[in-house]
Amino acid sequence: MGILFTRMFSSVFGNKEARILVLGLDNAGKTTILYRLQMGEVVSTIPTIGFNVETVQYNNIKFQVWDLGGQTSIRPYWRCYFPNTQAVIYVVDSSDTDRIGVAKEEFHAILEEDELKGAVVLIFANKQDLPGALDDAAVTEALELHKIKSRQWAIFKTCAVKGEGLFEGLDWLSNTLKSGSG
Amino acid sequence: MFSLMSGLWSYMFSKTEFNVLILGIDKAGKTTFLEKLKTIYSISEGLPHDRIVPTVGLNIGRIEVSNAKIVFWDLGGQPGLRSIWEKYYEEAHALIYLIDAACPTRFEDSKSALEKALRHEDLQGAPLLILANKQDLTNAVSAEELDRYLDLKKLDERVYMFEAVSGYDGRGIKESIEWLVGVMEKSKRTESLRARAGYTPVPNS
Repeated sequence: MGILFTRMFSSVFGNKEARILVLGLDNAGKTTILYRLQMGEVVSTIPTIGFNVETVQYNNIKFQVWDLGGQTSIRPYWRCYFPNTQAVIYVVDSSDTDRIGVAKEEFHAILEEDELKGAVVLIFANKQDLPGALDDAAVTEALELHKIKSRQWAIFKTCAVKGEGLFEGLDWLSNTLKSGSG
Repeated sequence: MFSLMSGLWSYMFSKTEFNVLILGIDKAGKTTFLEKLKTIYSISEGLPHDRIVPTVGLNIGRIEVSNAKIVFWDLGGQPGLRSIWEKYYEEAHALIYLIDAACPTRFEDSKSALEKALRHEDLQGAPLLILANKQDLTNAVSAEELDRYLDLKKLDERVYMFEAVSGYDGRGIKESIEWLVGVMEKSKRTESLRARAGYTPVPNS
């Protein structure tokens, strides 16, 4: 009986929970973003071998955020984390124009995965503070986001070290997860 | 025998699927309109107005009305985002174009964005529903006034309708959608999109 009341109470007043994957090539800024969201500050990071996972409480949603290593050799292991994922945050180093093509290939490979069929997609065009960084329109073009027609997506210009754009992205994410797609 | 029966069943009871684009310049009320649609036609409540933020990508809404399933594609209307509109034209069965009827200073921008869309070959023959939105505001112009002001050329080449609506209180929305479903079902564009997708209707015996 107590469990029933607890469940009812939490469904009415409690937090919705969401499992989020943060993906992208190595050096895109995924770990910096994770800890900026969680702690509100910039932490010094090393390349992620494996994953970091933290809980970020925002807009009445408890986001369980998984930051997965982006090096070529460990990208094949991303799929182990796909089940039960509500959203993918795909981080792009907007100043790394040499590898934007690789970022696009990896991005569309993720979207093909059956286990991510229901996930919404948030793109962070990161490192906007760096010279030569592509803006959101250019990243949209480069990643061919127009090919996405069966799921909701949004793109935000971000600068993780300054904390710009990240919470606007989370606002969109929380709205989208609350609203569903009809 | 089973496959014959299931084929017959799905033919008789399956719903036609349509993709409908919701376009308009920024602040026209596209997402508010979409959320109101969800509230009217779905079990789920749409987002409350105070939680709606400018669209920087694609919002999707799915509804079922009469014998049709409709997927709505709501795209951002800021100038930098309009270049992506045309990438969605080819697969769209129809276009809903929203105009903030209470903001005459931006009618010209709305008109040129719409004219550019209508000139695109990938939208040829697509039924067009132009919505004079924000009718809940006292200074909103009527659909007739907006029609006269826009004075759109070449509209006689396609099925179209002007309608006064409010994405805020829902007025005019049901009538608009019912009209749109009706014209999409009869549209030559729907036929050609079906043919391209390899859809073959079962002949009436």
